[in-house]
Amino acid sequence: MPLLLVKNVTKVFGALIALRDVSFEVNRLEILGLIGPNGAGKSTLFNLISGFHRPDKGKILFKDTEITGLRVDRIAGMGIGRIFQEPTLFMQETVFENVFSGLHRHYREPAWKAFLHTRAANREEAVSREKAAEILEFMDLAAMRDELAANLPHGHQRSLAIAIALACEPELLLLDEPVTGMNPSETAVMSDKIRQIRERGITVLIVEHDMRAVMSLCDRIVVLNLGEKLVEGTPDRIKSDQRVIEAYLGKQVI
Amino acid sequence: MSLSLFVQLLVNALTIGSIYVLMVLGLDIILRGTKILNFAHGQLYMLGAYVMFLFFQALHWNFLLSLALTGLALGLVGMLIYLGVFATLARRFTPTTTFSYRLLLSAMASVGLMMILQQGTLLGFGTQERGIQPPFPQIIDSFGVRVSLMRLAIILASLVICVLLYLLMNKTSLGRLMRAVSYDPEAVTLQGVNTFWVFVFCFALGSALAGLAGGIIAPVFSVTPAMGQDVIFLSLLVLLVGGIGSYRGTIAGGLLIGLLLSFGFQLLGGVAELFVFMLVIVILIFKPGGMLGEAAE
Amino acid sequence: MKPLNKLTQGRGKKLLAAAVVLVALIILPLCIESDYVKHLLIMVCLGATLAMTFSMLFSTGLITLGAAAFYAVGAYASTLLVMNAGLSFWLALPLTLLAAAVLALGFGAIFVRNAGVAFVIITLIFAQVVVLAAGQLDFLGGWGGIIGIPRPDSIGPIQFTSKLSFYYLALAVLLLTALVFQALYSSRIGRAWRAIKLSPNLAGTLGINPYRYRVLAFVIASIVAALAGSVYAHYSQNITPDAFGGWLSIYIQLYAVLGGLEFYILGPVIGSLVMIFVPEYLRIMKEWEPIITGVLLLVIILFFPGGILGTVKDPPGLSLKKFHSLYNRLKTGKKLDKSS
Repeated sequence: MPLLLVKNVTKVFGALIALRDVSFEVNRLEILGLIGPNGAGKSTLFNLISGFHRPDKGKILFKDTEITGLRVDRIAGMGIGRIFQEPTLFMQETVFENVFSGLHRHYREPAWKAFLHTRAANREEAVSREKAAEILEFMDLAAMRDELAANLPHGHQRSLAIAIALACEPELLLLDEPVTGMNPSETAVMSDKIRQIRERGITVLIVEHDMRAVMSLCDRIVVLNLGEKLVEGTPDRIKSDQRVIEAYLGKQVI
Repeated sequence: MSLSLFVQLLVNALTIGSIYVLMVLGLDIILRGTKILNFAHGQLYMLGAYVMFLFFQALHWNFLLSLALTGLALGLVGMLIYLGVFATLARRFTPTTTFSYRLLLSAMASVGLMMILQQGTLLGFGTQERGIQPPFPQIIDSFGVRVSLMRLAIILASLVICVLLYLLMNKTSLGRLMRAVSYDPEAVTLQGVNTFWVFVFCFALGSALAGLAGGIIAPVFSVTPAMGQDVIFLSLLVLLVGGIGSYRGTIAGGLLIGLLLSFGFQLLGGVAELFVFMLVIVILIFKPGGMLGEAAE
Repeated sequence: MKPLNKLTQGRGKKLLAAAVVLVALIILPLCIESDYVKHLLIMVCLGATLAMTFSMLFSTGLITLGAAAFYAVGAYASTLLVMNAGLSFWLALPLTLLAAAVLALGFGAIFVRNAGVAFVIITLIFAQVVVLAAGQLDFLGGWGGIIGIPRPDSIGPIQFTSKLSFYYLALAVLLLTALVFQALYSSRIGRAWRAIKLSPNLAGTLGINPYRYRVLAFVIASIVAALAGSVYAHYSQNITPDAFGGWLSIYIQLYAVLGGLEFYILGPVIGSLVMIFVPEYLRIMKEWEPIITGVLLLVIILFFPGGILGTVKDPPGLSLKKFHSLYNRLKTGKKLDKSS
């Protein structure tokens, strides 16, 4: 049983067919890459999976439960984490507070107990503080825990966005261009982090433009072009596939 | 209800409605272009009426010339207000400033302006009502139906202004630029356009529309300092009902409110306004984004 | 010395400060002879309470111009329950709050669907509807209002006849509100609100339902506003629709902005204190008051957007950080560290 199943999904914006009859699946604990030229529909697909848009046709199943058209927070609550292409953070909060806010889904004590600050609720909050600190440690952000998110350099903002998503303890993490614009050494560090994330038991779905990173990182790759699925397979197969080369023709990336 | 009364109420409704259409088009251009909810809009309308009084009644200039000059004068006032207040405010915002914070501060600044303009006019001109001699005082009387020519002229003038505005927004590069800025100011900046003057123009144009609305209606209603306060609530209501960011919705909403108020007051009296508000809430239950607008943040 | 030491540190320090302020607030009116000043203090307590409800909605990213609406609902509901149904104030109060909660849940569920500009307008219109309804509907007293509203019944030896007793009642309302709100802000509910304010999209992907949390804030804010309204009605003993008109909501907002928007509890208190007392002592001519208020508003927004508390905490041009680095440089005698 695949973790995520995207089945015959179509999405139309006005006259533009953003996605046409796209199907693929994400297996547990794999790193799946989603690539394609600009306008291929990758971001639209992310928005459909995470609930920001509703598909016009087709279904999306997560752990055999249909999530098509559910609200964003419901989908997040079921265990799908998502980071945005532009680092979307709580800019006016510190790094620590960002992750601490991300732990919202953790609390088991009812809200009225949190309001009354009962002993149990306070204990739970102390635990979540530790958890936030642990996540910061994992994403190498512990040293800047009291910096304002807005003041972080771009690369660290991306790490922080991932840290916030990890705080939700997702089973599936959607990463939108995690290494685009990074230099090779930064890319290597980030790729390594993504592998470690998988080792934490999290399945990863990546949209990325940096082909070298995608090829080395992903177990399988799905190629989209003009809203349709072109091909899917292992990085080696994708590299040598004639249709993929044609789609990217002139871009000289592969 | 006799036919004569019905037609009179209908003309009344269209007169009031077209004034609201002009007001709300102005509010909407300012809101979409500069992201300012301008509570001083009613006071600009009032100033428009006073300027019209000056040009037409005191100086005896031609009606259309006075009206055009009123529009220009209020455009200038709007420009000065933007440069003096809102441009300074906009410099305080950074890219990370939240939307709600921007909205609150700019709305509060416009509330400050509203207080100053309102009370300033009251202190300057007193509470007395000023009447403008209607340039077209004739009454058309045919088949027993009596209609004021002045009101028909107002409806026609509003229609002309709407058409001109439509041409400006859709057929000129400036209009396209304004629409682009309202969608994504950063993208426009990246293309090397200085968005600052587009903001200024949006605010000036919106203010000019408020001034025109005040100037046009001045011969029918009397000119008082309180006229701005009365009109702003319903203008905001029309903005909401029509849907923020929809010109067609604004026009439909303005005319709808005009009809409801005109016929409502005749049939129900003072409670009519209450019913109009209730109706708005009912509309919003079924259409959260207004009749024709998109539900947008 | 150890207990004393404990009191001057961290949590203890805060508790000590709170105790000192509380005692001062209780003793303060005993030192004041003038009934008028006591009246102003009562209005500060009620104004600050209302401004706190504005801040609570703002903490979720919503701007309400209808803070006065539920103030009016509270005042009218309690008045009708006491005068027409013959209930005791103390029995009418919980019923009033319940009514406000139900109304707020119903209307909030509709209003909150629109964030941003639409919410501002719809709350403003709602406040107007409440005023219109009170004026137009005869059983609500019409535009002339309701006069002769009885004072709350005495509880044992405590009688609510003097200004002093009402001051303590209003102060109790203010302090209770502050306590409840602080408990909310410091819990995960407050954090969720803040997350929604800073980025509704990100909050959604963290499993926070912005809609539900905003409705919650709307309901709480409305209950508190109704509480203040109820106390106001039985204090002033007469209410008119005009007392709850559009200006009141704007003034309430002004209290919060003037005090400092980032200070959800202290900001409204400082703001209402300044806005209510300063004009009294400047003896400004009434007709100039709106102009001066308007200019003041513009000056605050353009030059001190942090409000009074924000400006005190972080003075423009001379931030604390700059001061510290200057101080450290002088102390260590080092030259300016280029990297900082």
